[in-house]
Order: sequence, then C-alpha cells, then structure tokens
Amino acid sequence: MKIIKDKVAKLSFVALLVAMTAAMFYAPTASAHGEKSQAAFMRMRTIHWFDLNWSKEEVPVNETMTISGKFLVFAGWPETVDKPEVSFLNVGIPGPVFIRAGSWIGGQLVPRSVSLELGEVYEFKVLLKARRPGDWHVHSMMNVQGGGPIIGPGKWVTITGSMSEFVNPVTTLTGQTINLENYALDNVYFWHAVWFAIAFAWLLFWIKRPLFVPRHIAVSTGKADSLISAGDKKIGMLFGVGTLVIVAASMGATNEKYPVTTPLQAGLLRGMKTYQMPEATVSVKVDDATYRVPGRAMQMTLTITNNGDSAVRLGEFNTAGVRFLDPAVHEDDTAYPDDLLAEEGLTVSDNSPLAPGETRTVEVTASDAAWEVYRLADLIYDPDSRFAGLLFFWDEKGNRQLVTVDAPLIPTFI
Amino acid sequence: MSASQSAVRSRAEAVQVSRTFDWMILFTLFTAVLGGYHIHYMLTGGDWDFWTDWKDRRLWVTVAPIVSITFPAAVQACLWWRYRLPVGATLSVVALMIGEWINRYMNFWGWTYFPVNICFPSNLLPGAIVLDVILMLGNSMTLTAVVGGLAYGLLFYPGNWPVIAPLHVPVEYNGMMMTLADLQGYHYVRTGTPEYIRMVEKGTLRTFGKDVAPVSAFFSGFVSIIIYFLWHFFGRWFAKTDFIADDAS
Repeated sequence: MKIIKDKVAKLSFVALLVAMTAAMFYAPTASAHGEKSQAAFMRMRTIHWFDLNWSKEEVPVNETMTISGKFLVFAGWPETVDKPEVSFLNVGIPGPVFIRAGSWIGGQLVPRSVSLELGEVYEFKVLLKARRPGDWHVHSMMNVQGGGPIIGPGKWVTITGSMSEFVNPVTTLTGQTINLENYALDNVYFWHAVWFAIAFAWLLFWIKRPLFVPRHIAVSTGKADSLISAGDKKIGMLFGVGTLVIVAASMGATNEKYPVTTPLQAGLLRGMKTYQMPEATVSVKVDDATYRVPGRAMQMTLTITNNGDSAVRLGEFNTAGVRFLDPAVHEDDTAYPDDLLAEEGLTVSDNSPLAPGETRTVEVTASDAAWEVYRLADLIYDPDSRFAGLLFFWDEKGNRQLVTVDAPLIPTFI
Repeated sequence: MSASQSAVRSRAEAVQVSRTFDWMILFTLFTAVLGGYHIHYMLTGGDWDFWTDWKDRRLWVTVAPIVSITFPAAVQACLWWRYRLPVGATLSVVALMIGEWINRYMNFWGWTYFPVNICFPSNLLPGAIVLDVILMLGNSMTLTAVVGGLAYGLLFYPGNWPVIAPLHVPVEYNGMMMTLADLQGYHYVRTGTPEYIRMVEKGTLRTFGKDVAPVSAFFSGFVSIIIYFLWHFFGRWFAKTDFIADDAS
C-alpha cells in the first residue's frame, strides 16, 4: 500500500511539473481587450461611434493608417457613470504595437484630456504608425474620468515587417533630430551603471569582512564601537562627500549640455469643436421595447413622424457599435467589421416611404447573434434597464438623418 | 555528538561556517527586501516611477523619496543596532533597483515592448549612500533621520536630473509644444493609462515661478524625516528576537 501511495505521490509531482512546464511554454497572445465584458449599458448609452473607417487592413512597419469617424456623446448618459467632463481620446490596442502619431477631435490635436458636452457629435481621427508585426484588434476608445474606458468597435489589422526597422524621428525645438525609440538610452544606462558601481563598492567594502555572527557577538558584549574603525569612517566620509560632489557636478554638466528644458505639459482642453449633423426632420417616439431572450432579438414599437419635405425610410439601427441594417434601404460599403454588422438584421413591419407630414406606428426588430456574441443581451442584468441607440433614416435623395432613441427595455423569456 | 559539543572542530572551520552563514543570510535578506520593497514601491510610487511623462518637478520629486525611504530606514535599524553594519539603506535600494530593472526590462520592454527610455526606474542610490554614511558617522537615529532624511529628499531630483534632462527638451508637435517625455507618453499607447490619470504639475506652488523643484524637494525631505522615524521603529520592532527563549532583547 505504501509503495502505491509513494508512486501516486511521485507521479502527481511529475504531472505537476509537466503542467507547469507546459504552461510556461504555451502562453497564447491576448489580442483583444475584453470589450464584450464591458457592461452593455455602458456601450449602449455613453459614446455612440459611427461612420467609422479603418484606412488599412494591412500595414508595414513604419507606415501609417488612420481610424476616423464620429461619435455622439449620448444625451441620456447613465447616472451611474461620471459625465465626460474629463475624457481622453484613446485607441484600444495591445500595448504600443502602433505609436499614436496624432489624434484630433474636430480638427484639433488632442494629446491631452478634453471636456465633452452631452448630446453633441464630434468628428475624430487617430493617426497610427505601425511598430510591431502581428494581427491586432484596433479599437476606437474614449477614456472617461470616473467612468473608465469606453471601448468602441474594433477591427483586425495586420502589421508586416520587422520591429527592428522601426524608427521614430522627432525634431526638437533646439534643432536636433532624434530617434525617440532609443533616444538617450545610453545616457540612462550610463548613469544607472555609475551609481550601481558606487553602491556596490560601498556594499563590498563592508560585506567582504565577517558579518553577522562575529558582529552580533561584539554588539551583544558591548564592543560595538570597535566594529567601526577610524579608517572606516574616512572611507565613509569619502563616499558621502564623493556622492555629493558627483550629484552636484553631474547636475551642473547636464544643465550646460541641455540649457533649454521645459516642464512636463498638462492640462484640460475645453471648447472642442462639435460636428453639426443635418437637422433631423423625423421624430421618433418609442412606445415600447422588448428584448426576446431566446430569439436574440430586440423589438421596438416606434411612432415615427416625418416633418420634412421628402419621404424617408428607416435603414439602420446602431447600438454599441453593432449595426443592424435593412438592405432594401441601405447597404454598407465601408468594410465595417463583419462581426459587428448585421447586414439583414433590421426588419420593419412597414418600411415603405414615410411621406412628408405622415405619422406611422411600426414594429422594428433588430435581430442577430451579435446580441449574444457581444453580450448586449446582458443589458437585462444592468442596474438601469434601458437601451439606447441611433436610428438612421434616408430620404429619396439619399440624404441621411440621425435620430437617437432612449427608452426602458423589458425582457421576455418565452 | 552531544548537545554541548561544538558543531565545528577548529577556528578555521568556525570562520568558514560563519562566512557561509553570512552569504546565506545576505542572500535571503537581499531577496526578501527586493520583493517586499519592490511591491511597496510599486503600490505607493507606481506610475511616477514607471513613466518618464510622470517624472515632473512637483509630485514625482515629492512622492518618490517619501515612499521610498521606508525600507532603507527599517533595514538600517536592523543592520546597525544588531550588527553595526552601515549598509541598510544602500542594500535596500540596490535590491529595489535590481528588481525594478528586471521588471522594466523583462516586462515593460520584453513583454509589452515599451522602449526602456520611457520606463526606466528612478535613481534612489545617492540618497541611500548618504543615509548610510550619516548613520555610520553619527551613530544616531535622530541625526540620521533629520540630516539623512532631509538629504535623501534633497538629493533625489539632482540625482535624477542627468538622466531625465534630455527628455525635457521641448518639441513642437502638430502645433503644440511638449517635452520629449510628454511625446513618449503620447506616442507609446497605454490603453489603461489615459492622460488625465497623470498626476503632474498639480498643486499650489505657483508663487515660486519656475523654481518649484527645490521647494518640492525640501518638502519631500521634511516628510522623509518623519517617515524615517516611523519606519526605523518598524525595523527595530521587526528585528527583535523575543521569540527566542532567554533572549533579553
């Protein structure tokens, strides 16, 4: 019995070692950003991204691409999330696989945080320069202080080439052109090496002699003072004064070498330029909205009134970056990510042109696996069970109108 | 061999065993301090130490010495009062900075590809050496706390300036002026560290014009004195041997 127990113990130990070794050698790349885990109401009722465009799907190292589009800061911003008074336009990528060569809101460079207004639409662009080869999920993203990262739609982009060829040239205001990728690195290593050398010399001076047992005996027997000799004190003085001299001299030399330096720049940018969408002539009232859990479909009863002078049809419902289209009205030609596009996901009980001055109540169904895949169905577990989104109408001339909807959502389980 | 007999048979063997014991204790102490101090400093100093665009003349100068004088004070208390070894501060900071360099090189660069010139650690060594020297020369906790603690705070910024000055050279970028360090933070995307999280250049030291670093350093030195006292007592308490029978200490 003991032999069997010993064998089991030994085999268990071997299995543990094998498992640990296997885990060390297999570490898959984490490419995405947990966007599906973000609470559905955060994605549906905060920042609505639309008209997104990723300029390239494959880009060599050192080449650039852009993500551009618009975002609506939703007027019905949830109470449980801080308002976007301090926000930062970011990109969701796994580390610096690209560098952010530029980012603009309304044409203004935004290297700093910005203040956004509820209910406004902003146009944005992010310029990315490829740095590290691989397949990367590239998202638009808005960080909101007190709200966290609000991640937008993502698309896979491939970077080709070699990272060793990456360069990041920058010209300073003192006229020097440097490669920011490795600028001043030798200087960092040099000064750290110098101070490590001095510190090790100080440590070696002491630890080369007998340490713990004899010194403890001496201290315990009242002979502590004999452990520090006059010579030790002189050496100590040398290290102390030497340290002060090196610090002072190196600082002075640095100031001579870099006479022009400025403090770090920080601050909040206010008054960002908004984007004026064409004024909507269509008004929409949500009579009720239900989410049918087994059918992965959201159904809305909408009363739509056309106050314009041209007949309109509903072509798209966009929520949390998922686009439900009625192909009879609108088809996507922007190479929007497949998993976020339900090309035939929108059905309207009567989607014949709504004449000017006409009011009609219709049943609108947005159905697609994306509800489940993107965990938007989890909305029913949120603390404030409301949905929101963008409705896009097209008139006879092809003009588009944007109308927002925001209403309670009732789940149905049968 | 009875319990009363010695484990060694000659003086030479005793010296050899003692040295072996020295190295074992030193290795254990070094790695334990490396781990504990590193976690402490990452939790309290964190981003100020991680990124060049956090290394400003107000908060970095203030925070880094205050939160880093802790372990040096505690280890000094143990090594000085028990063994008369004036290496507690230097040993702690060397351990911390070795741990930090391993972290920055293996993780920040090797794993997530941030260039080392944006994520190198702060240099704490000049202050640590001076702290040890003052304790050795003065043999006084009070003197070390007051003079050493103040010096530790004051030496931090000039001790780091040769490393960070090149990154404070200004650049014009798409119509805005920023330092190269700011540009590093902007270029090398940190998804989880948005710009507004940066705590730099905040405060009310506006009456000192551009010369706020010395004021921040003095303030940091004063608080470091208090923290030194506190952690020195932690170290003395931690180095007690009450758990050993018949030990009076």
